[in-house]
Amino acid sequence: MKPAPVKPLPYTDPAHQVAHQFLVEEAALLDAADYSGWLDLLCADIRYLMPVRVTTARGAGFDSHPSMAHFDEDMYALRKRVQRLATGYAWTEDPPSRTRHFVTNVRTFSRANAEFLVESAVLLFRSRGDTREADLISAGRTDLLRETSAGLRLARREICVDEAVLRTQNLAIFL
Amino acid sequence: MNLANPQLASVLADVRRGMIPAHVYGDPEIFALERDRLFARSWVFLAHESEIPDPGDYVVRRVLADSFIVARDESGAVRVMFNMCLHRGMQVCRAEMGNASHFRCPYHAWTYRNDGRLTGVPFHEEAYGGEDGFPRQDQSLLPAPSMDTHNGLIFISLDAGAPPLRDYLGDFAFYLDFYTRQSPAGIELRGPQRWRVKANWKIGAENFAGDSYHTPYTHASVVDIGLFREPKASKRKEGALYVAGPGAGTTYKLPPGGDFASQLRYVGYPDAMIAAMAASWSARQRALVTDSGFMVSAATLFPNLSLVHNWPQVDDAGTVAPFISLRQWQPVSERETEVLSWFAVDAAAPEEFKRNSYKAYLMCFGSSGMFEQDDVENWVSITEMASGSMARRLSLNSRMGLSSAGQPIKPPLATFAGPGVAYQGFGEFNQRHWLSQWSDHLERQ
Repeated sequence: MKPAPVKPLPYTDPAHQVAHQFLVEEAALLDAADYSGWLDLLCADIRYLMPVRVTTARGAGFDSHPSMAHFDEDMYALRKRVQRLATGYAWTEDPPSRTRHFVTNVRTFSRANAEFLVESAVLLFRSRGDTREADLISAGRTDLLRETSAGLRLARREICVDEAVLRTQNLAIFL
Repeated sequence: MNLANPQLASVLADVRRGMIPAHVYGDPEIFALERDRLFARSWVFLAHESEIPDPGDYVVRRVLADSFIVARDESGAVRVMFNMCLHRGMQVCRAEMGNASHFRCPYHAWTYRNDGRLTGVPFHEEAYGGEDGFPRQDQSLLPAPSMDTHNGLIFISLDAGAPPLRDYLGDFAFYLDFYTRQSPAGIELRGPQRWRVKANWKIGAENFAGDSYHTPYTHASVVDIGLFREPKASKRKEGALYVAGPGAGTTYKLPPGGDFASQLRYVGYPDAMIAAMAASWSARQRALVTDSGFMVSAATLFPNLSLVHNWPQVDDAGTVAPFISLRQWQPVSERETEVLSWFAVDAAAPEEFKRNSYKAYLMCFGSSGMFEQDDVENWVSITEMASGSMARRLSLNSRMGLSSAGQPIKPPLATFAGPGVAYQGFGEFNQRHWLSQWSDHLERQ
């Protein structure tokens, strides 16, 4: 993905407001576990990527693993994940986690071809059962939103997670 | 803090007859014994040579609390060095990967070459009176007491008197080749993904060693969605379980009557790779695929390195792509484990195969994998239950496959091509084999 232009759209720009609302509505679907509704927000050519973050020296020039990700998904892979959660045998989410996606720090950048680059921060609170401590996953996201006849759709998401070692038992959730 | 000997003897006696005192999966005193008697002696996997291909490349890995730099020095040799400065004990390298000719301690700037030799001590003359006060010559970061490699896999032991790695691997080396020597080029490792689970480290190691019995139910969802056809109970109970040397593993039964190439095509390998496997594996290894008709799946090399090989469907067109993963169950405490999960692929494989195989891995195993997700939920729950006081009154029945007299309910496979002992169908032979090695370690002072 090309580096973002320096200046984001002002908050008063209608394009920013539509993009921001898209992310908030998406978070509402995820927290309601409406995963088929969530799939409807994705473009058919979606790429959903979450690189592994690594601890490197300041001068190393990289802080994500060069060849390993937690997620590197196309529509087939995401659809399988959603189908699995609906089977009745996806034990890791039965009983389901209680999740809350806090989405903030939204910056929208104008792009050509009816696309917007949108950066956001997400904090996922995930609570399971009654005896376990809750998990937090903090990440930055860089999204490519595409204008379609049905409204904005997510064409690409890169999730920049803020931990090198995840403190959650698995990624049976979406960010 | 150690268990009193009579208590430990009773725990180990129960374990050896296949009745596992449940508290061993959540007991701090048992964990202390594992640290002092097992991890202080055993060969432990750290890294693969492909992770540090060039001079100066390094990764930092642990054996429990001990941090090691695994580096390729300027001459191309692999070095494993205890990551603690000789002067005041600071962690010398605090990054987990990178490339460096030297490691400089941030505290007082003592500097070490990437082979561990101390080269820089600031104000050596003024502060120490030069070589007389502190002989800089021959000072090095502490090397791992024992270090050895096999098929590029780098292992260390904290015991300077550990047997040669190849002797330790014994008959399991035969099976390791299926995962790590599909061609003379060997594997390349990518990763690891790292995450922490609130589960005892033994549970995953035992599961990968031989729990074919959990697959049909725990992993029912991945069959249901058409991702992977093999885990069905009907398929799983035809597989063979083998124990060999310090390792044990599970297999799937291949369709009847196929030759070497057709069996590997069924699993999703392209012909170029099949030719390399035919040349790389011994006649006996090939016979495991052809004459015996089994394909390796999950396995564990004692104590905490597991391997997996599966072949899911990776697209709507029905492409089946096999993948290999290595994973380490790194103990953090009796109730917590850091999982390190790598994707492994034959270095000489075609790029398209590597792409599909990587996709297969991400969908199935690792931090987001659809198989692994449900496993971890079970293991966290077991660990929670094992940590209370009632767990001290319960012994878990791990006697599957044995009669009341302790005899196998059916004979071992007579025609299994691989070394060791193999049984077809469900059984907990492999977990008992793993636990018996565990018991031997805990018993030794």
